Amino acid sequence: MNCLQFEKELPDSLEGARTPEQQAHLSACSACSSLLADLDFIATQASSLNDLQEPSPRVWNSLEAQLRREGLIRQPARPTLHNPFWRWRNAWIVPVAAALLVVAGIKLYQPTKAGDNQPIAKQNVLPARPARSAISTEDSEMMKTVASRPPAQVAAYRNDLDQANAFIRDAQESLRNDPNDIYSQQLLMDAYEQKQMLYHLAMDQSDDEQ
Amino acid sequence: MRRIRPNAAGKGDLTDAKRPQGNKLSEAEAIEKAKQGDPEAFEFLYHLHKRRVYSLCLRMTGNTASAEDLTQEAFLQLFRKISTFRGESAFSTWLHRMSVNVVLMQLRKKGLPVVPIDETAEGDEEGTAVRKEPGAPDERLAGSIDRLQLQRAVDELPPGYRTIFVLHDVEGYEHNEIAELVGCSIGNSKSQLHKARIKLRELLRANRAEKAGKR
Repeated sequence: MNCLQFEKELPDSLEGARTPEQQAHLSACSACSSLLADLDFIATQASSLNDLQEPSPRVWNSLEAQLRREGLIRQPARPTLHNPFWRWRNAWIVPVAAALLVVAGIKLYQPTKAGDNQPIAKQNVLPARPARSAISTEDSEMMKTVASRPPAQVAAYRNDLDQANAFIRDAQESLRNDPNDIYSQQLLMDAYEQKQMLYHLAMDQSDDEQ
Repeated sequence: MRRIRPNAAGKGDLTDAKRPQGNKLSEAEAIEKAKQGDPEAFEFLYHLHKRRVYSLCLRMTGNTASAEDLTQEAFLQLFRKISTFRGESAFSTWLHRMSVNVVLMQLRKKGLPVVPIDETAEGDEEGTAVRKEPGAPDERLAGSIDRLQLQRAVDELPPGYRTIFVLHDVEGYEHNEIAELVGCSIGNSKSQLHKARIKLRELLRANRAEKAGKR
Protein backbone atom coordinates (compact mmCIF):
# COMPACT_ATOMS: atom_id res chain seq x y z
CA MET A 1 0.00 0.00 0.00
CA ASN A 2 1.28 3.46 -0.86
CA CYS A 3 0.34 6.89 0.56
CA LEU A 4 -2.28 7.62 -2.11
CA GLN A 5 -4.09 4.36 -1.45
CA PHE A 6 -3.89 4.91 2.28
CA GLU A 7 -5.37 8.41 2.00
CA LYS A 8 -8.15 7.22 -0.25
CA GLU A 9 -9.26 4.67 2.34
CA LEU A 10 -8.75 7.02 5.25
CA PRO A 11 -12.28 8.54 5.55
CA ASP A 12 -13.82 5.09 5.99
CA SER A 13 -11.13 3.73 8.24
CA LEU A 14 -10.97 6.69 10.62
CA GLU A 15 -13.73 5.42 12.86
CA GLY A 16 -13.23 1.73 12.37
CA ALA A 17 -10.56 -0.92 12.64
CA ARG A 18 -7.63 -0.68 10.24
CA THR A 19 -6.69 -3.41 7.87
CA PRO A 20 -3.30 -5.14 8.21
CA GLU A 21 -2.20 -3.33 5.03
CA GLN A 22 -3.05 0.03 6.51
CA GLN A 23 -1.29 -0.83 9.75
CA ALA A 24 1.78 -1.91 7.87
CA HIS A 25 1.81 1.31 5.90
CA LEU A 26 1.43 3.40 9.02
CA SER A 27 4.37 1.67 10.65
CA ALA A 28 6.55 2.37 7.65
CA CYS A 29 5.37 5.89 6.68
CA SER A 30 6.00 8.74 9.11
CA ALA A 31 4.03 11.25 6.96
CA CYS A 32 0.84 9.18 6.97
CA SER A 33 1.32 8.33 10.61
CA SER A 34 1.69 12.05 11.37
CA LEU A 35 -1.40 12.85 9.30
CA LEU A 36 -3.46 10.30 11.18
CA ALA A 37 -2.23 11.59 14.55
CA ASP A 38 -3.16 15.15 13.57
CA LEU A 39 -6.63 14.16 12.39
CA ASP A 40 -7.24 12.23 15.60
CA PHE A 41 -5.98 15.21 17.59
CA ILE A 42 -8.34 17.60 15.76
CA ALA A 43 -11.32 15.29 16.28
CA THR A 44 -10.52 14.91 19.97
CA GLN A 45 -9.92 18.60 20.54
CA ALA A 46 -13.20 19.50 18.85
CA SER A 47 -14.95 18.57 22.08
CA SER A 48 -13.23 21.49 23.77
CA LEU A 49 -15.08 23.84 21.42
CA ASN A 50 -18.33 23.01 23.12
CA ASP A 51 -18.17 25.99 25.45
CA LEU A 52 -21.48 27.62 26.18
CA GLN A 53 -21.87 31.30 25.52
CA GLU A 54 -24.53 33.73 26.52
CA PRO A 55 -26.65 35.60 23.96
CA SER A 56 -27.28 39.28 24.63
CA PRO A 57 -30.50 40.27 26.47
CA ARG A 58 -31.84 41.80 23.26
CA VAL A 59 -32.59 38.28 21.97
CA TRP A 60 -35.12 37.59 24.71
CA ASN A 61 -36.56 41.11 24.55
CA SER A 62 -37.17 40.84 20.81
CA LEU A 63 -38.44 37.30 21.15
CA GLU A 64 -40.86 38.17 23.92
CA ALA A 65 -42.20 41.16 22.01
CA GLN A 66 -42.73 38.94 18.96
CA LEU A 67 -44.45 36.23 21.04
CA ARG A 68 -46.82 38.86 22.42
CA ARG A 69 -47.51 40.27 18.98
CA GLU A 70 -48.36 36.79 17.73
CA GLY A 71 -50.57 36.13 20.75
CA LEU A 72 -48.52 33.15 21.93
CA ILE A 73 -47.97 34.84 25.27
CA ARG A 74 -51.47 35.43 26.49
CA GLN A 75 -50.93 36.96 29.91
CA PRO A 76 -49.47 40.26 31.00
CA ALA A 77 -45.81 40.34 31.83
CA ARG A 78 -45.07 39.58 35.46
CA PRO A 79 -43.18 42.22 37.38
CA THR A 80 -39.66 41.13 38.22
CA LEU A 81 -37.73 42.07 41.30
CA HIS A 82 -34.11 41.87 40.26
CA ASN A 83 -32.64 45.41 40.13
CA PRO A 84 -34.42 47.43 42.75
CA PHE A 85 -32.69 50.65 41.70
CA TRP A 86 -34.09 50.51 38.19
CA ARG A 87 -37.50 49.60 39.48
CA TRP A 88 -37.57 52.50 41.91
CA ARG A 89 -36.38 54.93 39.27
CA ASN A 90 -39.46 54.26 37.13
CA ALA A 91 -41.77 52.85 39.73
CA TRP A 92 -43.80 56.04 39.96
CA ILE A 93 -45.33 55.38 36.54
CA VAL A 94 -47.34 52.36 37.61
CA PRO A 95 -48.94 53.84 40.75
CA VAL A 96 -49.93 56.91 38.76
CA ALA A 97 -51.53 54.75 36.07
CA ALA A 98 -53.17 52.61 38.75
CA ALA A 99 -54.44 55.73 40.54
CA LEU A 100 -56.00 56.96 37.32
CA LEU A 101 -57.61 53.57 36.92
CA VAL A 102 -59.01 53.68 40.45
CA VAL A 103 -60.25 57.25 40.05
CA ALA A 104 -61.95 56.32 36.81
CA GLY A 105 -63.51 53.29 38.47
CA ILE A 106 -64.76 55.24 41.49
CA LYS A 107 -66.28 57.91 39.32
CA LEU A 108 -67.89 55.41 37.03
CA TYR A 109 -69.36 53.17 39.69
CA GLN A 110 -70.19 55.85 42.28
CA PRO A 111 -73.61 54.82 43.68
CA THR A 112 -76.37 57.31 43.15
CA LYS A 113 -78.44 58.47 46.13
CA ALA A 114 -81.49 56.37 47.01
CA GLY A 115 -84.55 57.55 45.18
CA ASP A 116 -82.49 59.61 42.84
CA ASN A 117 -83.55 58.44 39.44
CA GLN A 118 -81.97 61.31 37.60
CA PRO A 119 -79.35 60.26 35.14
CA ILE A 120 -75.88 61.42 35.98
CA ALA A 121 -75.47 62.94 32.57
CA LYS A 122 -74.97 66.41 33.91
CA GLN A 123 -72.23 65.39 36.28
CA ASN A 124 -68.68 65.71 35.20
CA VAL A 125 -68.11 61.96 35.39
CA LEU A 126 -64.51 61.79 34.34
CA PRO A 127 -61.52 63.91 35.00
CA ALA A 128 -60.98 63.68 31.29
CA ARG A 129 -58.86 66.70 30.51
CA PRO A 130 -56.54 66.67 33.53
CA ALA A 131 -56.05 62.92 33.16
CA ARG A 132 -55.14 63.28 29.52
CA SER A 133 -52.54 65.87 30.22
CA ALA A 134 -51.05 63.78 33.07
CA ILE A 135 -50.98 60.67 30.90
CA SER A 136 -49.15 62.48 28.12
CA THR A 137 -46.24 63.16 30.46
CA GLU A 138 -46.23 59.56 31.64
CA ASP A 139 -46.41 58.32 28.09
CA SER A 140 -43.37 60.28 27.09
CA GLU A 141 -41.51 58.90 30.15
CA MET A 142 -42.47 55.39 29.17
CA MET A 143 -41.31 55.93 25.60
CA LYS A 144 -38.01 57.26 26.95
CA THR A 145 -37.65 54.04 28.95
CA VAL A 146 -38.02 51.89 25.84
CA ALA A 147 -36.20 54.24 23.45
CA SER A 148 -32.97 52.24 23.46
CA ARG A 149 -34.65 49.05 22.26
CA PRO A 150 -34.79 47.81 18.67
CA PRO A 151 -36.80 50.15 16.39
CA ALA A 152 -39.46 47.51 15.69
CA GLN A 153 -40.07 47.09 19.41
CA VAL A 154 -40.22 50.84 20.03
CA ALA A 155 -42.70 51.13 17.16
CA ALA A 156 -44.78 48.34 18.70
CA TYR A 157 -44.87 50.16 22.04
CA ARG A 158 -45.81 53.42 20.30
CA ASN A 159 -48.57 51.65 18.41
CA ASP A 160 -49.97 49.90 21.49
CA LEU A 161 -49.86 53.12 23.48
CA ASP A 162 -51.64 55.07 20.73
CA GLN A 163 -54.29 52.38 20.60
CA ALA A 164 -54.85 52.47 24.35
CA ASN A 165 -55.06 56.28 24.29
CA ALA A 166 -57.48 56.16 21.36
CA PHE A 167 -59.72 53.77 23.32
CA ILE A 168 -59.57 56.06 26.35
CA ARG A 169 -60.49 59.12 24.27
CA ASP A 170 -63.35 57.28 22.53
CA ALA A 171 -64.72 55.97 25.81
CA GLN A 172 -64.49 59.40 27.46
CA GLU A 173 -66.21 61.04 24.53
CA SER A 174 -68.93 58.45 24.60
CA LEU A 175 -69.40 58.86 28.36
CA ARG A 176 -69.72 62.60 28.05
CA ASN A 177 -72.71 61.99 25.82
CA ASP A 178 -74.13 59.21 27.94
CA PRO A 179 -72.57 58.79 31.40
CA ASN A 180 -74.72 55.70 32.07
CA ASP A 181 -73.41 53.79 29.08
CA ILE A 182 -72.14 50.61 30.69
CA TYR A 183 -70.32 49.48 27.56
CA SER A 184 -68.28 52.71 27.44
CA GLN A 185 -67.57 52.45 31.16
CA GLN A 186 -66.17 48.97 30.67
CA LEU A 187 -64.21 50.09 27.62
CA LEU A 188 -62.61 52.87 29.60
CA MET A 189 -61.62 50.53 32.43
CA ASP A 190 -60.18 48.05 29.92
CA ALA A 191 -58.21 50.79 28.17
CA TYR A 192 -56.67 51.96 31.44
CA GLU A 193 -55.81 48.37 32.33
CA GLN A 194 -54.20 47.90 28.93
CA LYS A 195 -52.13 51.00 29.48
CA GLN A 196 -51.09 49.89 32.92
CA MET A 197 -49.99 46.58 31.46
CA LEU A 198 -47.87 48.42 28.90
CA TYR A 199 -46.13 50.32 31.68
CA HIS A 200 -45.48 47.07 33.52
CA LEU A 201 -44.08 45.48 30.39
CA ALA A 202 -41.78 48.41 29.66
CA MET A 203 -40.39 48.34 33.19
CA ASP A 204 -40.12 44.58 33.32
CA GLN A 205 -37.96 44.46 30.21
CA SER A 206 -35.90 47.39 31.41
CA ASP A 207 -34.97 45.27 34.41
CA ASP A 208 -33.76 42.51 32.12
CA GLU A 209 -31.63 44.94 30.16
CA GLN A 210 -29.73 45.94 33.27
CA MET B 1 -17.41 28.47 31.64
CA ARG B 2 -18.99 25.05 31.92
CA ARG B 3 -18.41 22.60 29.15
CA ILE B 4 -20.76 19.88 28.03
CA ARG B 5 -19.34 17.22 25.81
CA PRO B 6 -22.01 15.55 23.74
CA ASN B 7 -21.78 11.81 23.69
CA ALA B 8 -24.03 8.95 22.76
CA ALA B 9 -26.39 9.83 25.59
CA GLY B 10 -25.97 13.56 25.70
CA LYS B 11 -25.75 14.38 22.01
CA GLY B 12 -27.94 17.21 21.02
CA ASP B 13 -29.00 17.76 24.59
CA LEU B 14 -29.42 21.49 24.96
CA THR B 15 -30.24 21.48 28.61
CA ASP B 16 -27.84 23.03 31.09
CA ALA B 17 -29.97 21.77 33.92
CA LYS B 18 -33.48 20.46 33.95
CA ARG B 19 -34.33 22.41 37.07
CA PRO B 20 -32.15 25.47 37.59
CA GLN B 21 -31.28 26.26 41.15
CA GLY B 22 -33.82 28.42 42.84
CA ASN B 23 -36.42 27.98 40.14
CA LYS B 24 -39.76 26.50 41.02
CA LEU B 25 -40.74 25.20 37.60
CA SER B 26 -39.57 21.95 36.07
CA GLU B 27 -39.09 21.76 32.32
CA ALA B 28 -42.14 19.54 31.87
CA GLU B 29 -44.30 21.92 33.90
CA ALA B 30 -43.00 24.88 31.93
CA ILE B 31 -43.83 23.18 28.63
CA GLU B 32 -47.41 22.60 29.76
CA LYS B 33 -47.74 26.17 31.01
CA ALA B 34 -46.25 27.58 27.81
CA LYS B 35 -48.96 25.73 25.88
CA GLN B 36 -51.43 27.87 27.84
CA GLY B 37 -49.57 31.07 26.95
CA ASP B 38 -47.94 31.56 30.35
CA PRO B 39 -45.21 34.25 29.95
CA GLU B 40 -43.15 32.94 32.85
CA ALA B 41 -43.02 29.49 31.27
CA PHE B 42 -41.74 30.85 27.96
CA GLU B 43 -39.09 32.84 29.76
CA PHE B 44 -38.09 29.81 31.83
CA LEU B 45 -37.70 27.61 28.75
CA TYR B 46 -35.75 30.29 26.94
CA HIS B 47 -33.30 30.83 29.77
CA LEU B 48 -32.92 27.08 30.28
CA HIS B 49 -31.83 26.46 26.69
CA LYS B 50 -30.58 29.80 25.36
CA ARG B 51 -26.87 29.18 25.85
CA ARG B 52 -26.82 25.85 24.05
CA VAL B 53 -28.91 27.14 21.16
CA TYR B 54 -26.89 30.32 20.84
CA SER B 55 -23.57 28.49 21.08
CA LEU B 56 -24.67 26.04 18.40
CA CYS B 57 -25.71 28.89 16.10
CA LEU B 58 -22.47 30.73 16.80
CA ARG B 59 -20.31 27.71 16.00
CA MET B 60 -22.18 27.02 12.79
CA THR B 61 -22.13 30.62 11.53
CA GLY B 62 -19.02 32.07 13.17
CA ASN B 63 -20.86 35.38 13.50
CA THR B 64 -22.41 36.75 16.71
CA ALA B 65 -25.07 38.92 15.05
CA SER B 66 -26.25 36.06 12.83
CA ALA B 67 -26.13 33.68 15.79
CA GLU B 68 -28.40 35.96 17.83
CA ASP B 69 -30.89 36.35 15.00
CA LEU B 70 -30.91 32.59 14.46
CA THR B 71 -31.33 31.92 18.17
CA GLN B 72 -34.39 34.14 18.20
CA GLU B 73 -35.74 32.44 15.08
CA ALA B 74 -35.15 28.94 16.51
CA PHE B 75 -37.02 29.76 19.73
CA LEU B 76 -39.78 31.48 17.82
CA GLN B 77 -40.32 28.39 15.69
CA LEU B 78 -40.19 26.22 18.77
CA PHE B 79 -42.76 28.27 20.67
CA ARG B 80 -45.04 28.44 17.65
CA LYS B 81 -45.10 24.65 17.58
CA ILE B 82 -44.98 23.99 21.29
CA SER B 83 -48.65 23.01 21.39
CA THR B 84 -47.78 20.05 19.14
CA PHE B 85 -45.06 18.80 21.48
CA ARG B 86 -46.22 15.54 22.98
CA GLY B 87 -43.11 14.56 24.86
CA GLU B 88 -42.28 11.46 22.82
CA SER B 89 -38.80 12.85 22.32
CA ALA B 90 -36.74 14.95 24.67
CA PHE B 91 -37.63 18.60 24.42
CA SER B 92 -33.96 19.54 24.18
CA THR B 93 -33.40 17.13 21.29
CA TRP B 94 -36.40 18.61 19.53
CA LEU B 95 -35.08 22.13 20.04
CA HIS B 96 -31.57 21.15 18.97
CA ARG B 97 -32.82 19.63 15.73
CA MET B 98 -34.95 22.70 15.09
CA SER B 99 -32.00 25.01 15.71
CA VAL B 100 -29.80 23.09 13.29
CA ASN B 101 -32.55 23.27 10.67
CA VAL B 102 -32.93 27.03 11.19
CA VAL B 103 -29.20 27.53 10.65
CA LEU B 104 -29.14 25.28 7.58
CA MET B 105 -32.15 27.08 6.16
CA GLN B 106 -30.38 30.39 6.65
CA LEU B 107 -27.23 29.12 4.92
CA ARG B 108 -29.33 27.96 2.00
CA LYS B 109 -31.13 31.31 1.84
CA LYS B 110 -27.81 33.10 1.65
CA GLY B 111 -26.71 30.75 -1.10
CA LEU B 112 -23.94 29.31 1.05
CA PRO B 113 -23.16 25.62 0.60
CA VAL B 114 -24.55 23.36 3.29
CA VAL B 115 -22.58 20.47 1.87
CA PRO B 116 -19.02 21.48 1.01
CA ILE B 117 -18.12 22.27 -2.55
CA ASP B 118 -15.10 20.22 -3.50
CA GLU B 119 -12.01 22.26 -3.96
CA THR B 120 -10.55 20.75 -7.09
CA ALA B 121 -7.50 22.95 -6.80
CA GLU B 122 -6.49 20.83 -3.84
CA GLY B 123 -6.54 17.74 -6.02
CA ASP B 124 -8.85 15.53 -4.04
CA GLU B 125 -8.48 12.75 -6.54
CA GLU B 126 -4.75 12.84 -6.25
CA GLY B 127 -4.65 12.86 -2.50
CA THR B 128 -2.71 15.81 -1.22
CA ALA B 129 -3.22 15.51 2.50
CA VAL B 130 0.21 14.04 3.03
CA ARG B 131 2.53 16.58 1.55
CA LYS B 132 6.05 15.35 1.28
CA GLU B 133 8.26 18.32 1.72
CA PRO B 134 11.89 17.29 1.93
CA GLY B 135 13.63 19.03 4.71
CA ALA B 136 10.41 20.29 6.35
CA PRO B 137 10.02 19.25 9.96
CA ASP B 138 7.24 16.68 10.31
CA GLU B 139 6.03 18.09 13.60
CA ARG B 140 2.66 16.93 14.88
CA LEU B 141 -0.07 19.29 15.94
CA ALA B 142 -0.56 17.77 19.37
CA GLY B 143 1.06 19.91 22.03
CA SER B 144 1.50 22.93 19.81
CA ILE B 145 -2.13 23.94 19.20
CA ASP B 146 -4.48 25.29 21.83
CA ARG B 147 -8.24 25.53 21.88
CA LEU B 148 -8.31 29.14 20.77
CA GLN B 149 -6.23 28.40 17.70
CA LEU B 150 -8.50 25.51 16.84
CA GLN B 151 -11.59 27.70 17.25
CA ARG B 152 -10.07 30.33 14.98
CA ALA B 153 -9.29 27.72 12.36
CA VAL B 154 -12.86 26.36 12.53
CA ASP B 155 -14.14 29.90 12.00
CA GLU B 156 -11.96 30.12 8.90
CA LEU B 157 -13.41 26.93 7.41
CA PRO B 158 -15.67 27.42 4.39
CA PRO B 159 -19.33 27.23 5.54
CA GLY B 160 -20.01 23.77 4.12
CA TYR B 161 -17.01 22.20 5.82
CA ARG B 162 -17.79 24.02 9.04
CA THR B 163 -21.34 22.67 9.10
CA ILE B 164 -20.28 19.04 8.80
CA PHE B 165 -17.37 19.42 11.22
CA VAL B 166 -19.44 21.18 13.89
CA LEU B 167 -22.33 18.76 13.61
CA HIS B 168 -20.12 15.66 13.83
CA ASP B 169 -17.07 16.50 15.89
CA VAL B 170 -18.48 19.19 18.17
CA GLU B 171 -22.19 18.42 18.48
CA GLY B 172 -21.83 14.65 18.25
CA TYR B 173 -24.22 13.84 15.42
CA GLU B 174 -23.73 10.53 13.56
CA HIS B 175 -23.21 10.47 9.81
CA ASN B 176 -26.68 9.06 9.13
CA GLU B 177 -28.23 11.95 11.08
CA ILE B 178 -26.10 14.53 9.29
CA ALA B 179 -27.03 12.98 5.95
CA GLU B 180 -30.69 13.39 6.84
CA LEU B 181 -30.26 16.94 8.14
CA VAL B 182 -28.25 18.38 5.29
CA GLY B 183 -29.63 16.19 2.53
CA CYS B 184 -26.60 14.22 1.41
CA SER B 185 -25.49 10.58 1.46
CA ILE B 186 -23.78 9.00 4.46
CA GLY B 187 -20.70 8.42 2.35
CA ASN B 188 -20.66 12.06 1.37
CA SER B 189 -20.93 13.12 4.99
CA LYS B 190 -17.93 10.93 5.91
CA SER B 191 -15.92 12.16 2.98
CA GLN B 192 -16.69 15.82 3.67
CA LEU B 193 -15.87 15.47 7.35
CA HIS B 194 -12.52 14.01 6.39
CA LYS B 195 -11.87 16.92 4.04
CA ALA B 196 -12.92 19.39 6.71
CA ARG B 197 -10.37 17.89 9.12
CA ILE B 198 -7.70 17.95 6.43
CA LYS B 199 -8.52 21.59 5.75
CA LEU B 200 -8.30 22.35 9.47
CA ARG B 201 -4.94 20.65 9.63
CA GLU B 202 -3.67 22.83 6.80
CA LEU B 203 -4.95 25.96 8.49
CA LEU B 204 -3.43 25.01 11.83
CA ARG B 205 -0.07 24.11 10.33
CA ALA B 206 0.00 27.33 8.33
CA ASN B 207 -0.88 29.28 11.43
CA ARG B 208 1.87 27.57 13.39
CA ALA B 209 4.41 28.17 10.63
CA GLU B 210 3.42 31.84 10.50
CA LYS B 211 3.91 32.20 14.22
CA ALA B 212 7.26 30.43 14.08
CA GLY B 213 8.37 32.78 11.30
CA LYS B 214 7.62 35.80 13.46
CA ARG B 215 9.85 34.59 16.27
